[in-house]
Amino acid sequence: MIRRRPWLSLLLLALLVLAALGWHNRVHLQAFPDIVSAYSAKEYCSCRYVSDQPADYCRAYVTQYVPLSDLQDDAAGKRVSASALGRTHLAQWRDQRSGCVLVSEQ
Amino acid sequence: MSLLKPFVLALPLVLGSLSALAESWPIPDWSSRGAPASPALAALEAYAFPPRDEAGRTGVRTDALLVVHDGEIVYERYAAPTHAATAHLTWSMAKSLLATTLGVAYGQGRFRLDQPVAEFYPPFAAHPQVKVGHLLNWASGLDWQEDYEYAPLKSSVVAMLYTRGRADMAAFTAQHPAAVAPGARFRYSSGDSNVLAAALRGMVGEAAYADYPWTALFDPLGIDSAVWERDGAGTFVGSSYAYMTARDLARVGLLMQRDGRWGEQQLLPKAWVAFNRTPFANYLPVAGKPHEPVPGGHWWLNAAVAGAAKPWPDAPVESFAALGHWGQGLYVLPREKLVIVRYADDRDGSFQHNQLLKLVQAAFAGEVQP
Repeated sequence: MIRRRPWLSLLLLALLVLAALGWHNRVHLQAFPDIVSAYSAKEYCSCRYVSDQPADYCRAYVTQYVPLSDLQDDAAGKRVSASALGRTHLAQWRDQRSGCVLVSEQ
Repeated sequence: MSLLKPFVLALPLVLGSLSALAESWPIPDWSSRGAPASPALAALEAYAFPPRDEAGRTGVRTDALLVVHDGEIVYERYAAPTHAATAHLTWSMAKSLLATTLGVAYGQGRFRLDQPVAEFYPPFAAHPQVKVGHLLNWASGLDWQEDYEYAPLKSSVVAMLYTRGRADMAAFTAQHPAAVAPGARFRYSSGDSNVLAAALRGMVGEAAYADYPWTALFDPLGIDSAVWERDGAGTFVGSSYAYMTARDLARVGLLMQRDGRWGEQQLLPKAWVAFNRTPFANYLPVAGKPHEPVPGGHWWLNAAVAGAAKPWPDAPVESFAALGHWGQGLYVLPREKLVIVRYADDRDGSFQHNQLLKLVQAAFAGEVQP
């Protein structure tokens, strides 16, 4: 098998290594797609409603290499939702002293 | 004679007030004396406020620079849209603010440095040997990965703030296994800081906790712009999420410059400030990184330790600082009576603490005295 199909064997081996790495890091990998949207929702919320900066400034402030597919800023409710990599997260301004926090309910 | 006695008794008190009066304090507000234009001041401004690169976000990008000399503002400048009333994110300078809040609790006898953390934060029963002092030196020994941007997949701090840890950051930290014995080595950890923030609840009690940073520290200092965000469990995000104006942060700097004294009140025990400013005993400078500041008690020091030169060669050896991500800095130069607040949005590594301190000293402390 290895002598007859050296490239296929190498490919299979590489896939096997990747799968092992993926399994080893499964906890990290599952959480990874959440980072960009959670970061953006939280930091945009704080930028707008804690630091009281303008919306366009905050939009640029949270920009990362991975683009957001959506950012909703509910100014009346001081709630910010951000979406990226298929995940959506929500941050809510609480009060004068405790600022913004990521919330799980949609 | 008997009539005179009350006056004699009151004399030290009066003299004490006089010495406090002779000093400048921002009570209630800062006084300012503008510095005359000079080549040194021009050089400082050219360094701190170059044309701002908004598209590529490269280079030095200062949001605010405030210099206090001997209790008075001598320089203050902001880059729009940040202004004097902006409560700016402090990032990891919050850790030193947490330490200063803890200093008040320490003065009230709420804890000792050699007490196990588990006495104040029960989930740390998993790590019974870790003492409060270990956390303040970032020496819990837990297996923690602090990298932010270069290793986001396995970064403990990113997971703590945004994904798996955000519901309860101290509990998330407590779940990390020990890598080495507590106190054996320094490893910078936002987790250690958030465990301290959770331990504060056990030290002061649930009822006092929510307002404690205000009642203990911010109110006595006249700080009215402070915001301190919480995690899902209501614990202060002591590692990262405090906000205040540059002028208010400078109040903390002045408190530290004057050894924990605010006006006539010794708000922090002198021994606490001395601990903040003592290098962690087992700290070893990182090879190839000569400009990394030295960890003290949740403050950063320009100390020369273990045969290495001081990290910021142009700043006095007794300088110390609160430092945060993306260029945040609160620097205290006690001998020069300088307090410097810098808020920034530095996205690359071009900003240098040493260069800023060199230029500030040249502009405001006469000659540079390294």
